[in-house]
Amino acid sequence: MLTLTLILFPIIAGLLTLASKGENAKTIASAAAFIELALGAYTYFSFVPDASTQFGLSYDWIHAAGVKFSIGIDGISLILVCLTTLMVPFIIVSTFNSNYTNANNLYALILFMQAALVGVFTAKDGFLFYFFFEAALIPVYFIAAIWGGENKIKVTLKFFIFTMFGSLFMLLALVYLYMKTPGEIHTSDITALYEVGQNLNPSQQGYIFWAFFIAFAIKMPLFPFHTWQPDTYVEAPAPATMLLSGIMLKMGTYGLIRILLPIVPAGVQAWGLTAIILSVIGIVYGSIIAIQQKDMKRLIAYSSFAHVGLMSAGIFSRTLDGLQGSLIQMLAHGINVIGLFFIVEIIQQRTKSRELARLGGITQTTPNLTVYFIIIMLGSVALPLTNGFVGEFLLLKGVYEYNVWIGAVAGITIILGAVYMLRLVQKSMFGITSRITEGFQDLTFSEKAVLFPIAFLVIALGIAPNAFLHITEPAVSQLLTIITK
Amino acid sequence: MQYQPSDYLPIIVQLIAAIGFIVATMIATHSLGPKRNTKLKNEVFECGIESVGDARTPISVKYFLVAILFVLFDVEVIFMYPWAVNFIHWVNTSAAVAKEMFLEMLVFMALLLTGFVYVIKKGILHWEK
Amino acid sequence: MNSIIALSLFGIANLFLGFLNNRKILLPATLAFVLVALGLNLADWNQEYLWFNNMLRTNNLSVNFASVILVATFLVVAVSRGFGDDEEHTHPAEYYAIMLFSVVGAIMMVTFENLIMLFVGLEILSVSMYILTGTDKRNLRSNEAALKYFLMGAFATGILLFGIALIYGATGSFNIHGIEALVLTAAGGSAPALLYIGIVMVIIGLLFKVSAAPFHFWTPDVYEGAPAIFTAFMSTVVKTAGFAALFRLLGGAFTGVYGTWIYILYFLTMLTLIIGNITAVYQQSFKRMLAYSSISHAGYLMLTATAKVAHTQSSILFYSLAYSVATISAFAVLMVVAETKESNAEKTNENFDIFNGLAKNNPLLAFVLTVSMLSLAGIPLTAGFWGKFFIFSDAFQRGIVVPLVVAVLMSAVGIYYYFKAIISAYFKEGDVPAIELKPIYKITLIVTTLLTIVLGIAPDLVKSIF
Repeated sequence: MLTLTLILFPIIAGLLTLASKGENAKTIASAAAFIELALGAYTYFSFVPDASTQFGLSYDWIHAAGVKFSIGIDGISLILVCLTTLMVPFIIVSTFNSNYTNANNLYALILFMQAALVGVFTAKDGFLFYFFFEAALIPVYFIAAIWGGENKIKVTLKFFIFTMFGSLFMLLALVYLYMKTPGEIHTSDITALYEVGQNLNPSQQGYIFWAFFIAFAIKMPLFPFHTWQPDTYVEAPAPATMLLSGIMLKMGTYGLIRILLPIVPAGVQAWGLTAIILSVIGIVYGSIIAIQQKDMKRLIAYSSFAHVGLMSAGIFSRTLDGLQGSLIQMLAHGINVIGLFFIVEIIQQRTKSRELARLGGITQTTPNLTVYFIIIMLGSVALPLTNGFVGEFLLLKGVYEYNVWIGAVAGITIILGAVYMLRLVQKSMFGITSRITEGFQDLTFSEKAVLFPIAFLVIALGIAPNAFLHITEPAVSQLLTIITK
Repeated sequence: MQYQPSDYLPIIVQLIAAIGFIVATMIATHSLGPKRNTKLKNEVFECGIESVGDARTPISVKYFLVAILFVLFDVEVIFMYPWAVNFIHWVNTSAAVAKEMFLEMLVFMALLLTGFVYVIKKGILHWEK
Repeated sequence: MNSIIALSLFGIANLFLGFLNNRKILLPATLAFVLVALGLNLADWNQEYLWFNNMLRTNNLSVNFASVILVATFLVVAVSRGFGDDEEHTHPAEYYAIMLFSVVGAIMMVTFENLIMLFVGLEILSVSMYILTGTDKRNLRSNEAALKYFLMGAFATGILLFGIALIYGATGSFNIHGIEALVLTAAGGSAPALLYIGIVMVIIGLLFKVSAAPFHFWTPDVYEGAPAIFTAFMSTVVKTAGFAALFRLLGGAFTGVYGTWIYILYFLTMLTLIIGNITAVYQQSFKRMLAYSSISHAGYLMLTATAKVAHTQSSILFYSLAYSVATISAFAVLMVVAETKESNAEKTNENFDIFNGLAKNNPLLAFVLTVSMLSLAGIPLTAGFWGKFFIFSDAFQRGIVVPLVVAVLMSAVGIYYYFKAIISAYFKEGDVPAIELKPIYKITLIVTTLLTIVLGIAPDLVKSIF
């Protein structure tokens, strides 16, 4: 019931927001998001840290076809549900300083998006997963296409068709597995699909692997499926960028863990190396391009591309450390990247520019912003005692265990990451005050209200990562026993 | 008796010969005959009254309506002949069948009549309007 | 079966209602007629009957198909707005009557037990559609469309009839169960060549009616030329009836010689999907795009009709319903926007840019359009998604992998052109004045949209019946 509430509550709140006007919409939406956060926190605290699926529930959805509406939360789901419920309130509050036309629609779409995301992370039925996976696309498409920048129409359509194209292959693979389930009425329950997938012969598993891999690789995105990403991030308005980079790309990595690894272990065995090599190419390639970027948003987009490559490499290493690291990194990356995009948004609002060359010298008037920016930047660089460190350390350890040489190449990310992140801060914040950064106002209350919790989380998770690691560990260990069986 | 497809060969030969003759004569007359284009040669009639206007003058749509209605009712009435011939037979053999068939003819007539009423009310038979 | 008789009588009644000097009464009367027919149709539920000396058969399958047809008719009539209540050159009573007659034909195509009835039903339906296509008498394109449709349609009917004759020659029966039995015994190898030629000809005749490639060339011109309301009718009712007939033949009478036609149909399915979707991408006109999209939807339906598994009929039914509802709301939005622009003396062309800026003053219309486009594109949360899903499952069950992969790729292509309408409505600059909708129009649009969404969330509501 709790899980269902987590999904349904944002939808109802979204409908209410849709019906309300102006300031009311803001109030309703943010109140709803914080209530959802409280629900998320309640889920976190009442979760018993073992490998079981909790708060589960199952209804007949399409009776004749054996498709069920079954949802539930295990350790892997929980960390992502926490990320979603945690970040959406801040995304909503972060829009308070900008003037969006028809803001009630924006908030409603964000809330619908949240419902779909929670649905993806809690679905326990293959088709239900697909359903939410696609449903999440619609709100974010509209957010990006309605409130986006100049090129929005072309870019968002490209984004939509790319991701939809990938997921159609996933649908094919799901239907294929579903058809193989025993019985007169088939079932699409996820554990049944695991069993069917594991019993396929290796070459069949290879096909299924690619069908799923392409879907998730486009969503994350991995090299060479990433071409939609930088443009979309740049054109989309701040809340959409935050949703996309902070939460939505985790649908891809979550899919790898929840669907790809357990369904086709032999396929992963055969093609895992290819996937890891693609991921590592993405890491290096993304980092090098990020270093050369002039636009702040584009820089962060490529940095996110590089980070997600490391997560995927960790997942395909199929080690406990790699998987644990990727999970904690999903959380950390979500927090950091949302913080970074918000700071870019703040700078853009005040100076009307995101170009590094035109900025500089902001620190002189903004002690608060500087501190928060540096904290979040350090989290992103993965300095010890920040949230990024734990994830990156575990991920690299996992990849080392898999293959030392690949681990070494992936390790470059630490150096390159430091280069582009420090460059970002240095070029935008320090140096000589430019014409447009003169008289830069420091943070307002609502901006602080977003950045303070994010900065707090950066440090808190860095000091006490175990708060989440101990929750995911049983589920991950169980998953590994399935895979390596 | 079983026919093989090859038994139809004469027909095809005949067909080819017929078409071939037409094509051949048309080509022959076109290439052999002399061509003189004068104003008088291009007239529709070389003698008699001067022709006026185009042969394809538009005709009032009323003609078509009446014509098509005639065909419609005519065809439907034709149906009564076979019915009448068989009706005697039914009357002589089974009264029940005869009764049913009579009723069905009434339904048919009623539908026909409805159509007729519709046509009249629509004013299609009014020549001048 | 009483629905056929009732609809015929209602059609005649409609003709006479036209003599009352009150055009306002026609729309509610026709709606009531269709509802009564629907009720009579549902009364046959769970009963298996043969009618008129084994000419027609009603069972749950036929009741389902007829219900989908009647629901589509009801929705089309509801958005017809009495064909402009005060225009001089329209004959609403006749239009409604012809629509009802054509539904009689459609129901006969669903219930036929005898190939003669299939032919008669198809002709009733087609002749009515030829007339309705040309109802915009002063529009050259409408005239052209009607003539084109008539000529091509007559050709296709001829081929169908020839096919029926050949099948009769080979089997000595018009009855589809009789044919089925004979075809099964003939499948051993003793079948005369006539039978195969006949079967292929019948299939071609029906594929023409459902506008499958390569028999689709009439579709874009006819859809574009015909008045939008009849295009909506054509692309929903005719298509559903055509597929019902095709399904009954392929799934029943012709099963015995599966091997002869299945590869032809695989090929045509792929061709239809590719031609329909790829050509739709290049269309400027919204109506023409919908024409090509209707070709591509024929492709998806053919995929499941050839798959011929246990669920095929319910998949066809669900898909037809989802497709009909979405198409009707798309056409309804197009009609009302085009009409408003026309009354403002603006040049209209029914291109995509007619929707530019629609969302600004008409949020409801924009939303309706969006939902219907999403449904046609098969995006989750809409009925269209489940339609595609069921069809893909069927194809998988039969193991037709190559056409299936083509279908999947093409549905990704489909997103592109359906989104063009959404993009126009929401993101392009333009000016559509706020449109005042009549209550019945508004209610119909809301109902179709809600139906699409509800079926998208809980397809089992309808799927469990089919």
